[in-house]
Parts: sequence; C-alpha cells; structure tokens
Amino acid sequence: MNPTVLDTPEALADFSNKTVATDELASLAKLNFNALSAKYAPTHRLVILMTTLLLMTLILIAHHQPWLALPTEVKVVFEVAQWVIGTIGLLAYLYNYFADPKKQYSLREQDISYQSGLVFNKTVCQPILRVQHVELKRGPIERKVGLASLQVFSAGGAMHTFEIPGLDYDNAENIRQYILSHKDLTQHG
Amino acid sequence: MDKELEAEVVEQATNATENDSTTHNWQRVSPIALLYFVLKVIKNIFGNFIYLAPALYLGYDKVAEDPSFWLPIIYGAVALIVLSAVLSFYFFQYRLSNQQIEIRSGVFSKKYINLPFSRIQNVELTEPLYYRPFGYTCMQLDTAGSVKQEAKVVAINKHLALQLKNEILAAHQPVTSTETEDVTETQTKIEDEVVLDTRNLDDLVIHGITNNRVWIFIAGMAPFIDQISDKIGQWLYFLGFNVEQYFEFEGKSGWQIATTAISLTLMVMIPITIFSIIGSIIAFHDFKLSRSGDRYIRRSGLFTRNEVTMRLSRLQVIVRQQDWLDVLLGRINLKFEQSNANFQQAQAGQLTNKIIVPSVTRKECQFLIDDAYPENKLKDVEFNRVSPRLLVRNLLLFILPISAVIASLAYQQQPIITIVYVLIFAVFISVLITMSYIRWGYAADDNFIYVRKGCLGVDYYCFPIYKVQQAGFKQSWFLKRKQLCSVEFVLASGAINIPYVTEATGLCLLDNSLYQVEQSKKNWM
Repeated sequence: MNPTVLDTPEALADFSNKTVATDELASLAKLNFNALSAKYAPTHRLVILMTTLLLMTLILIAHHQPWLALPTEVKVVFEVAQWVIGTIGLLAYLYNYFADPKKQYSLREQDISYQSGLVFNKTVCQPILRVQHVELKRGPIERKVGLASLQVFSAGGAMHTFEIPGLDYDNAENIRQYILSHKDLTQHG
Repeated sequence: MDKELEAEVVEQATNATENDSTTHNWQRVSPIALLYFVLKVIKNIFGNFIYLAPALYLGYDKVAEDPSFWLPIIYGAVALIVLSAVLSFYFFQYRLSNQQIEIRSGVFSKKYINLPFSRIQNVELTEPLYYRPFGYTCMQLDTAGSVKQEAKVVAINKHLALQLKNEILAAHQPVTSTETEDVTETQTKIEDEVVLDTRNLDDLVIHGITNNRVWIFIAGMAPFIDQISDKIGQWLYFLGFNVEQYFEFEGKSGWQIATTAISLTLMVMIPITIFSIIGSIIAFHDFKLSRSGDRYIRRSGLFTRNEVTMRLSRLQVIVRQQDWLDVLLGRINLKFEQSNANFQQAQAGQLTNKIIVPSVTRKECQFLIDDAYPENKLKDVEFNRVSPRLLVRNLLLFILPISAVIASLAYQQQPIITIVYVLIFAVFISVLITMSYIRWGYAADDNFIYVRKGCLGVDYYCFPIYKVQQAGFKQSWFLKRKQLCSVEFVLASGAINIPYVTEATGLCLLDNSLYQVEQSKKNWM
C-alpha cells in the first residue's frame, strides 16, 4: 500500500495507482514514516554551533579592536548582544538535538506527508494532484555533505510551501522524479 | 475531427477581431494612453515621495529666490516626463494572432510577453476617469502562473476589449463535444448577462459605517497626507482648540480623564467614519454583480470603474462576514475568494482578487450563496462546538499576566480605584475571549466544510472539500494528552484552521478531505 522506499528506478516501473480507501480508509494516523538522512541532525547542529560562534567572534572582534575607541553605550550593547546570541544559540542547539529526530516523512501513492515539532507536533499532507512544481534546494553545506531539501509548491501560496529538509541527495531526486512522473500531474497538471 | 473544430474556432475568433481592425500586425494603442503613461511616471515619482520630500522642500525656497535660474530646470523635468511617456507609448505594441496575444514594451529594457488565450485565467477591465469620455479601457490579463507573467494592454477600445474578453474566456471552455453548435451556444450565452445584485447609495453608506474603508480614501491621498494633517492642525487651532491642553492630566479627576478619552475617541472616530463612507462610495459606486454562463462579473467604482470577471470554477471559498455593527443592522459582506497566488504583489488596498458584495441583507446573501453553490447547506447546517479547553487556555494565557499586574499593584499599595480599573479591563477582555470561543464552530457534509468564527461579529467560511491544496494536523504535547488536535486546510485563497477538535474528528475531517481530493481528481480551478 505504501511505497515507502524509492531507492531504485524499478520502484517507479512497478508503479500502481490503486484508488486509496476502497478497502479501508487510509488515515494520517496510520502513516508509515521514514526517517531523514542520518547525516541531517549532526549537520544541522554543527551549522547552528558554527553560526553562533561566528556571530559571537565577530562581535568580540568589533568589541576589542584597537583602531576605534567605542563609546561605553556601544560596549554595553555588544556585551548584551553576546549573551543574547549565546543563549539563543544554546537553546536552538538543545531544541534541535531533541526535535531533529522527530522530523520524518511518508510517501503514499497519492500524497506526501511531513511531520515535525517537539512540543508542537505538526503533520502536513500534500496531495500530489495539487502539486504545481517541485524543487531540490541545496546550499553549500548541503552540497558538501550530500544532502538536499525537497520543496513542493502548490497553489496554497509561499506561506504553505511543503518542504522536507535533510534528505540524501539520491533519495530526494527519486522522490522528485516520483512526484513528477505521477499520473495525476502528467494528466491534470 | 478535433483539428477541424479547432481550426473553425480559430477562424471564428480571428474573424471577430478582424471586424474592428486588423490586429494581426503589430500595432500601437490609442494615443490616449499617453495620459496613462504620464500619470504612471508621476505616480512612480510620488511613490518615492518620502525620499524626495526634503529635496522638494529645499527646492521650493530656492525656486522662490531665483525663478529665472530654476524655471528652465523645472520645464526640463516636465519635458523629460512627457518624453518618457511618449517613448513608452511608442514602444508599446501588441498583436493578436492565432488565439494568442503578444505584447512588446519597454524603452531601455525591452519586454516581450506571449500569452495564449487558453492560459489566461482572468481578464480585468479598468476604466480610469480620463479614459471614460473616449470609450477606452485598460485590459489586464492574468495567468495562473507567476506574477511576472501578466500582461496589460494599457488603452484599448472598450468595444474591442469586451469582444476580446469574450473570446479569451471562450477559449477556456473545454470544447469536448464535437458539435459545432456548442461553440455558438457559449457565444450566445456570454451575451445574456443576468444581474444578480446591485447596491444603492444607502447600502454603501451603511457599508462605510460598518466597515473600515478608510484605506481606499487614504491610498488615493497618500502623496498629500502631510499637507492635509498640517491643514487640519491649523484649522483646529483656528477654531480655538488647544490640543496640548487636552493632554494635561495633572489635577484632573478620573471622570474628567474618562470624558476626555471618550470625546477624543469620538473626535477620531467621526472623521474616520466619514472618510470610510467616502471610501466605500469611491470603491463600490454603482455596484453591479452579474452572471453570464459560468462567469461572475463585478463592476463598480466612482472614479475608476473596475470590472472583475471570475469563472465559477475559480471560486475557492465563500466568506460571509459580519462585524458587530453588521450584526446589529442585519447586513452581511459576502466575499467570493479566488486564488491568491497572483496578487501577492498587489497593493493592500486592491480588491481585485475577490468579488466582494458589500452590505447585503440576509436574504440577498443567501440567494447569492445558493446561486454559486446550490447544494451547500450553510443556512441550516448545525455547527459543532470546539473543545472548551480552547476557552480555558485562552483565559489562562490572559488572566495569569493580569493577575500578576493586580498583585504587584496591590503590593505597591496603590489606591483601590486603580485595581478596580484593571479588573474592569480584565473582565471586559475575558468576555471577549468567551465570545470568541462561543463563535468557533465547524461542520461538514458530503461536499463542503463549514467554519464559523468571530468575536463580536461572526464570519462563516464555506468551501468545497475537493478544493483543498494541502492538509495539516497539529497537536501540541498538551493536546495529545487530552486527545485533541487542530486541523488546517490550505486553499488557494489562504488557510482555514479549526482549533481544538477531538483527535478522531480531526483525523476524520482530514482523511475525508484527502480522499475526496485524491479520488475525485477534480481540478481546483
């Protein structure tokens, strides 16, 4: 019922399109979820750590540079900024340490779902019929470690872009192909 | 067989346009468009008014000092504006051929747009005041795709525009039947337009009072807002009204302060209401909603007449909106909302993406809703309450900080009266929170989902289930323990939430919607 793994092109060839829910109503409660790439969580934590450290270093340099004498007010602002950035960075690190493993996705014949959130858990389900286009987004770090984010656009607008982060590149490409070759898209799109 | 038919359609279409002019070749728009371009340049300049203001202010003194030196420069600037308008006019060309429209424009950066009629989703005719005596109109063509891909023919003969519009929208009709009569039938259908609703002046005045339409007025006045506020200050001073005196609270009793507050509110409210009425008249003067075939056409406007056409299939959600004043007066604003995607760049004040029928009575409203979706049961559907935990959460979120404030006031040994004020305020807000909880309601039948919400006023949303673009299931850790959840339906016109329903109901709503979307495979537009 749920073609969960799509590692090989053969999976696409065996593609069936039984109508959902004639035998038993498919439910979001019964989704078979797949985990994101194992590389995602560590990379994400590293990025948060590096960003925080970089920002703090920049402020530290600006604070103690020898060329320009700063007014005391500015120095106070810098000090507060250090603390704020440090705290936010630490909290983000801790939060994602526990939240990242909760992120998971599920692919069914007719739709694709993504679940995330530690305290506020959210499952978004995107019917493939309503997809307008699909993109793979890869930043420099994602390219380095071989990850990709899958973005699925519907007519719901930019606020409701469906995105799955941290997929292995090959897997992301497979999912993209699966969506693009979906019968609904090729016929109704 | 199909090809033959297609050829015939094309021939018919081209014949129709050939009658008026040979639009096959590249051609310019009417010279009246010069006015349009001049105004556009000026508008662009005034759009950056904030940056220009200091320069203009300084400039004014300089010019007054030495007109003989500065006048040529001003003339030069005017000449430049005119020249750029002439150039924009010269380079603006369009061509109609083979069921498509091509537009070339731009002086330095050239733009070329090619739009097949079948890809045009919406045709909007706008008649600025200065076009009307000459019978010209602006024709805006929207595609479902991106914002950049939209075309505007800036001045076109109104007669030709209407003809073109019919043709474009007819190109949309899925001509599946092989009978050629079908085409002529749709052609005739287009002509008999049924007026569904008109609005009179008194309706518009009511609409102005109950709804804030100030922005329509302000949007037009934006470049002059500084001068206006200066003038108002001068008038007030002239009338012997000292503003500063008003804000001296020392040595005044609580009641005096209260009366001051009330009179101040009135002083602000009355002009706002008047402007709002004016705004409402500007936007909705001579409002007419009509239907021809499967298309709704809205025409309105005092200065610039606006014509919006929407196919019924593009309708995403019906919103039946009532503010508290509307509830008292028994009036309803009815909105037919369509896809938002094209209009994110549009100004906040524009009404183009929805067909709004201002301040209709209950009966008229029901008639219009039934006309659009005959099988909907908005009128007599029974709404389910959401879980009372929503009320508890909202009250807690609000009351905890308030009680902290009261505690700290008491701790500082403030006079009882301050604490009483805070308490009155707290009770007032709590009543609002309770009202808003009572308003929440949802219902579903085979084809539609209905949502009711509001606070003092009440809004009803009704959308066909198969129009859902995306579905969301939200559950916080606390909700999970109580087996509650919130659900979200994303439509092309925006998202609609239902908070705090039981997990089973939420899942049922979502699963059913997804099933309808995926199984019916109906197009959403």
